This record gives sequence, C-alpha cells and structure tokens, in this order.
Amino acid sequence: MGLAGAISAGVVALYLLDRSKRRQVVATLRFWTAADSRTEMKHRKRIQQPWSLLLQLLSLLFLIIALAGPRLGTDDKGRDHVMILDTSAWMGARSGRTTLMDEARSAARAYIKALPSRDRVMIVRADALATPVTAFESDRQILDEAIARSQPGASVLNLPQALEFAERAQKLQSQHAGEIVFAGAARVPEDEAGLATVPANLRVLQVNGALENVGLRKIGLRRSSTVADTWDIFVSLRNYGLKPRDVGLELQFGGAPAGSKAFSLKPGEEQQATFTYKTRAAGFLEARLNSRDAFPQDDRAVVELPSERPLRVLVYSNEPALLKPLLSMVGQVNAVFESPAKYDATAKADIVVLDRFAPAVKPAVSSIWIEPPAAGSPIPVKGTRNAVKLESWRTDTPLGAGLRTKDVLLQSAEIFAPAAGDIAVAESAEGPLVVARAGSPKIVVLGFHPVKSSMKYELATPLLIANTLRWIAPDVFRSREVQAGTVGTVTVPVEKGTDAATVRVVTGVDQGDAKPLPFTIEDNVLRFFSGAPGTVRVLTGSRELVYSLTLPDVGESLWKAPATVRKGIPRAMGNSVSTIDIWPWFAVLGAAGLLLDWLLFGRSRAYRLRAVGNVVGSIWRKAS
Amino acid sequence: MAQNLIDRELLEKLERLTIHWQKSLPGLVGGHNTSRFAGAGQEFLDHRHFHQGDDLRAVNWRAFLRLEKLFLKMFQLEPRIPVRILLDISKSMETGSVKKFDYARKLAAAMCYVGLVRLDSICLQPFSSGLGDAFVASGGRHRFQQAAVFLSGLQCGGATNFMGVARDFISKYPQRGLVIVISDFLDDADCEKPLQFLSDFGHELILTQVWAEEDREPPWDGELDLEDAETGVHVELAFDSSARKQYMAAFDEYAQHLRRVALRNSGRYVGIPTNVPIEDALFGPLVRSGAVE
Repeated sequence: MGLAGAISAGVVALYLLDRSKRRQVVATLRFWTAADSRTEMKHRKRIQQPWSLLLQLLSLLFLIIALAGPRLGTDDKGRDHVMILDTSAWMGARSGRTTLMDEARSAARAYIKALPSRDRVMIVRADALATPVTAFESDRQILDEAIARSQPGASVLNLPQALEFAERAQKLQSQHAGEIVFAGAARVPEDEAGLATVPANLRVLQVNGALENVGLRKIGLRRSSTVADTWDIFVSLRNYGLKPRDVGLELQFGGAPAGSKAFSLKPGEEQQATFTYKTRAAGFLEARLNSRDAFPQDDRAVVELPSERPLRVLVYSNEPALLKPLLSMVGQVNAVFESPAKYDATAKADIVVLDRFAPAVKPAVSSIWIEPPAAGSPIPVKGTRNAVKLESWRTDTPLGAGLRTKDVLLQSAEIFAPAAGDIAVAESAEGPLVVARAGSPKIVVLGFHPVKSSMKYELATPLLIANTLRWIAPDVFRSREVQAGTVGTVTVPVEKGTDAATVRVVTGVDQGDAKPLPFTIEDNVLRFFSGAPGTVRVLTGSRELVYSLTLPDVGESLWKAPATVRKGIPRAMGNSVSTIDIWPWFAVLGAAGLLLDWLLFGRSRAYRLRAVGNVVGSIWRKAS
Repeated sequence: MAQNLIDRELLEKLERLTIHWQKSLPGLVGGHNTSRFAGAGQEFLDHRHFHQGDDLRAVNWRAFLRLEKLFLKMFQLEPRIPVRILLDISKSMETGSVKKFDYARKLAAAMCYVGLVRLDSICLQPFSSGLGDAFVASGGRHRFQQAAVFLSGLQCGGATNFMGVARDFISKYPQRGLVIVISDFLDDADCEKPLQFLSDFGHELILTQVWAEEDREPPWDGELDLEDAETGVHVELAFDSSARKQYMAAFDEYAQHLRRVALRNSGRYVGIPTNVPIEDALFGPLVRSGAVE
C-alpha cells in the first residue's frame, strides 16, 4: 500500500510538473508569434485535446477517492492488546537448552506476528510489580526489542496485580480494547493459585512451568542466648516439583565445613533444619544444596556473619572480689581488675570502673564511679547521708528501665548535685543517688556501693549494672539476627509500641550507598519491600536485623487458567481481516491515467513516440 | 579550450580542402583562384596591342617578326584576396541544447585552418550589435594556434544588429573579398538588406546558418513562457502540434529566403543544424555548396 501510494504521488508530481507553464529561453520570438496566433484561434473554436481532458478528470477523481482511503467491508481501526510477559524469578528455570523466558518470548512474538498489522500492543513485564515497557504500539520492531530486553527478575509473579493493571490500561488508554495476553509459566504464591476471577478477554500462552526443583527458602542466624560465641542457624528448603527428592544440605563458614544434613522431601513439602556453629570471627556462611535441578539459582545462599566484639572493662578496685560476680554475669564483658595504684588515664579499655577512688586525671573513656570521694567526683557531691531511703528509680530512662526496689534503706550514701542535662537514675528524699551524664565520654556515678550496701540482695543491682553498660556501649549489646531470604515483601515482628521514628530500614550499606527503604508498622509487624537482590538492615532499638535478600522468590504453585480462558496462539487472527483497503487500487488507477495522458498528450510526446518507434524499428530490422 | 576546438585528426583531413570563391576579385599575385583580371599569371589569357608604357617583357616577339606589329601577351591573374569570417557572438547563439556558439566557433576555426593551409589571409571578425576586435591570421598553418586561442576567448553578448554590422564592415574593410558569415541569422529585424548591402559593395557572401534542433522544431507542448535571449521580451502562449508545424514552416521559409539572398548575389548558402558533426558539415553541405573544394 505504501509503495502504491508513493508511486502514485510521484506520478502526480511528475504530471503536474509536465502540465505546468514552462519557461523557455529561445533565440528569437519571430516564428513563435505567428504560430501562437493560430493556436489561440483554434482554442476559441473548440476544446483542445478532449480525450486528454477526460483522462485527466478521471485520473484526478480516482486520486481524490484514494485520498479518502476507502475500504471494503466493516470499519476496523485495529485493537489494543496488552501482553503481560512473566518476568518472575522462576522464568530463569531451564527446560532443556532454553529457559522458560526464551519460550515465553517466542510465544509472545508468535502472538504478535499473528495479529493484524494495525493492531497495537502494550508490553508489560510482570513479577512482583507490573511494569509497562511500551505504550500501545503498532511498530513491531519496537515490540520485538521490548520483548528481547525482558529478563527474569528475582521476585515472584503477582498475577492479580498484573491482570488488574492490564485491565486498567485498556480501560484508560485504548480506543478499541483487544485481548489481555499472559505469556509465562504462571508460578505464583500458594494463595494466588486458585485465582479464578480473570478478565473476560484474557488469553494465556502458558509455557511448561512444572519443572523439578528443590531450593532454599530461607536461612536465619541468631546469636545463641544460652551458649556464648555460638550462632543458631535455621535453614528452610522446599521441593517445588512433582516428584519426591532426596537432597543434601551443606554449610560452610569461610570455606570450612560447618554442618550438613540430608533431606527427603515430598512434592510440595517444605522442611527446616537447625544448626549451631561457634565462632567469634566474622565471615561468610554458605548454604548449598547438592542437587541438580531446573532452577539452580536457589540452590546456594551466602550470608555474612558479623564478628562479636567484647566490651573491655578495666576495674580499679582494692576489693575486686566484690565486683567480679557482677561483671562476669554479662557475657559480652571482658573485665580486667587492677589496684588503684596502677591507674593509667590512657589505658586501653572501653569502660573504666573506679571503685571508691578518684584519680587526679580523669579517664579518657567512659567511666563508672562508685562512691567517689567528694573531692574528686565528676558530679558534685552535695553530702554524705546515713540511713538514706532509696525512694524511686527513673524507669523512663534507659538506665532505670525495668528497675524496681521496695523499702531499701542504705546505711550510707552520697547525695549528688546534678547539673542541667544530667540524668538522675535513682533518687532519695535528699537528692539523687545515681546520676548519669551523657556526652563523650559518658559518666555514671553511684552514690552507694552496689555490693557492700543493702542493695547486695536486690535484683535491681545486676540490672542496674547491665543497664549502665548497655547505655554506655549500646552497639556491643545490640542483638543481631542475620537472615537470607527472598526479595519481595519482608515482614519483621517488632516490640509492642515501637515508635516508627526510632526504626531505620536501610539498603545498600555494604555497597557504600546506604538508602532508606520505606516501611510500615502495623499490629507490631514491620513491613518493607525490596524488589532487587541486596542486603537490608533493620535497626529497631536494641535489635539489628540483617536481611540478605539474595534468594530468588519462587512461587509455590502453578496457576491453572480457568477452562473458559482462551489459550494458545490464534492462527486465523492475521487473516481474519474484516476490511480490505481499496484505496491503493484507486491510487494506481489515477497514476496510470495520468501516466497515459502524459505519454499520449504530454508536451514531449512526439519525441517519446519517435524514440519508441526507433526502438521498435531497430528491433524489427534486427529480427528481419 | 584552444586544443579542444578541433582535434588533430580533423585538421589533417582539412588540409585537402581549399576555400573557393566565384567572383573575380582584384588582389595581389599568389592566390589559388583564377580571375578575369590579367596580370602576372602562368596561364595565357589573350593578346592585345602594345601601348606605350607596357612591359616589354610581355611582348610577343614571334608575332612581331611575322607581322611587324607589337602584340602583348596577357596572362590570367590568380590574386590573393582577403577572406573574412564574420562570426556571430550575440546572445541568441548561446541557446540550444548544443550551443550554437560553440558549434559556430568550431566551424570558424575549421574554415580558418583551411585558408591558412592555402596561405590565404583570414580575418576573424566577431560581431553582435557591432563589430568586435578582429584577428588576422596569415602565413601558413603554423599561425592557426593563435587563431584558435582568439576564438576560444570569445564570449557571447549583445543583440544582433546586421545593418549596423554591415555599415561598420564596409567602412572598416574597403577591399573587396570573400565574406563567410557564420550566424543563426535570427535577428528580429530583417537581415536581407544588410546582406544585400555587403554584396553590392563587391563582397562575395557565403552564408552559413547554424541552428539548434530546438530552433527549428521546438520539442515543448502546452503553456509556455518564452523569453527572447537577446531582448529579454516575454511571450506567453499555448503550443501544440499544429502550432509546431506552423513554426517549422516559418523557419524553413526564412532559411529559403536567406538562400535566395545568397544566390541572387552570386553567393552561397549553407544551413547546418548543430546535431551534425563538424566534419560531416564541412565535407557535406559546405563542399556541396562549393564554398570549399
């Protein structure tokens, strides 16, 4: 059609050029004038070249009709289809020599090829999110490039969302809605397997997604609460196939074996295993399944374990035996006891404890002062009182959190005079007994000895010490959990009443490009979404959770399209054209008429006819 | 350009030709055409009575011994007469798919070479509205190069004015001779009078009309906007096959008119279209007309 139109346009242009008034420079006008006078006389008598006029009028009529673009049959301006291309993680599975993605691409191309050329198609890539790649496009080259650039992602297919998106796109943007076509394996989460409410114009080009696969689902690591320097490791794996499988799981830490276990999994079964591994060192823990299947991407996962750094506490005391039990109960503390005579202000330690001793030079690091002499106390001492009743604990502060005593009477205690900004942790009627000063370094001053006083038998005493150490060095006491999971939506249980302002969810810390991720907290559950593989850190108060989202998210079930849904590539779609363009024929007729007129009545016809005659004559002579 | 006017092969062929004139024109000895004038020739012409002052060397002494009367032998003179080539360089000569000016220039060069080979004196005289600077070549074929350079340097311009040219020519060249006019003769004014004028002053005319194919048979049809190459006058008209016939008839009538003018004055007329090669024109129409032999 395009060619016919172009040829017609060319012929019309040539014709108009031929028929336009031509300017000529001649040697003289003496012979022309006489010839023209006769022509004018003839013009007055009758129409010149009536057949030429008729031929021109007919040709122009045909061209005008061609410009109107007439068609035979019903009017059809083409339809708008939405092609949903499954780009979930499972599309990377191999089926023979090709991947499921290759098969889906081929099916999509075959469908587009079967469409009439005026139909438009929107390509939508669907994994956890539905992403349009093109607008409604009739250029097959653009569509083919969009299909070729589609690659398997890392998340699971969200089919309802993709179908809803396609329906909305057709409703809002299309002029004549066509089909919604899904091309892919349709492996979806279990709760979406029974999806039955689908658009009426849905067509499914399903590739064989029922391949055998056993893969890791999740790996969780947590510091053991009972055994120091030990990690509790939790591994979950699943058989996605239709046959029972026996697989072995191996754990390695820094290249050394860290555990192994054999599993026998029924179809669709998910099993868990727990391991313990003792190490203080940082390193990479690798979990590997020794099985060969169609989807090797989920047979291996690597998580990074942080090192455990002890809290170095240097205690200057003449009676170290009193404080030893108190400090040794905290697992993270590495306490060293020295006599006050060996005091060194620059000694290497995280915290210095000064037991009833005030050095001339204050320590450079954070310190805990127990009954400091009034002359050298960092917090001014108002006075020393006898029979002081401990009235209350400031439980709203981190230091006093969870502390509770009743009718504690201290034989002797120092009363402090705190400055503005100091935190009074324990108070008596005369004044504060325990005061903390934030800043750098941090200072905590106790007006009584926790072991020598009547506080010795109180439960609040070890808690006070633990709170104090945690307040001074929160990083050391932060509980860490490491999990390897799948990309997509992650849910994290948080403590009741957790303030969203104190929570941070960041990604890209390992790559040096930390970015906050949006999250929600609802019903004590924190939710965030990560569409790309990477490491996400969740900081909630004293907890740090590291999510190594490197495992592909594979749906548990294959979606089976309802029986009413059309399936496969329609063969007759390309031929079922309800209209036939006839304008090219009119264009050709018009062009042919003008060409004929040009040949027969054009201004150089004598030469053309003579040239044709010469050619024919020469051929005739040669032949004879 | 001088080298491209005529190729060497044609020049060798031209050496066989001679410019021929019919009139008996006076001139110095050394020509190659006989004349009715008596003089120091080789061929015997007649006897006449001796008169005082005659050259005694021409007396027929044998007749004196027998008849005792002095008779003088007269010999036929072969004078050298000037050959003048009037070359039209008006704007109308630039028209045509093959430029008439280029063709006329080659024709003039060929005639010049033919004359130089026979030791004729050739005067190349360009003209349009008046006479331009002339170039005189004589003394043999080795002078042809300068003539070719002169012809190559000519440029077209101006409108043809035959009457003015004829007047100037007569006043500039009083000696009678052969005048070869190479032109399209498409002067808006009639050129019969000026040609007759030249002939009446004793010049022998060879009229060489050069025309382009479009000049005789215009290939165009339909509405035309025509511009006169010399005057710039515009004429808009419709042209068809019947008009073309009228045009061609008028053109041929004009050519015949020129022929009649030439023959009436003992001259010759040659019409050459530019699509005829120069060699064919020289050895065809020009030889047939007797302008060259």
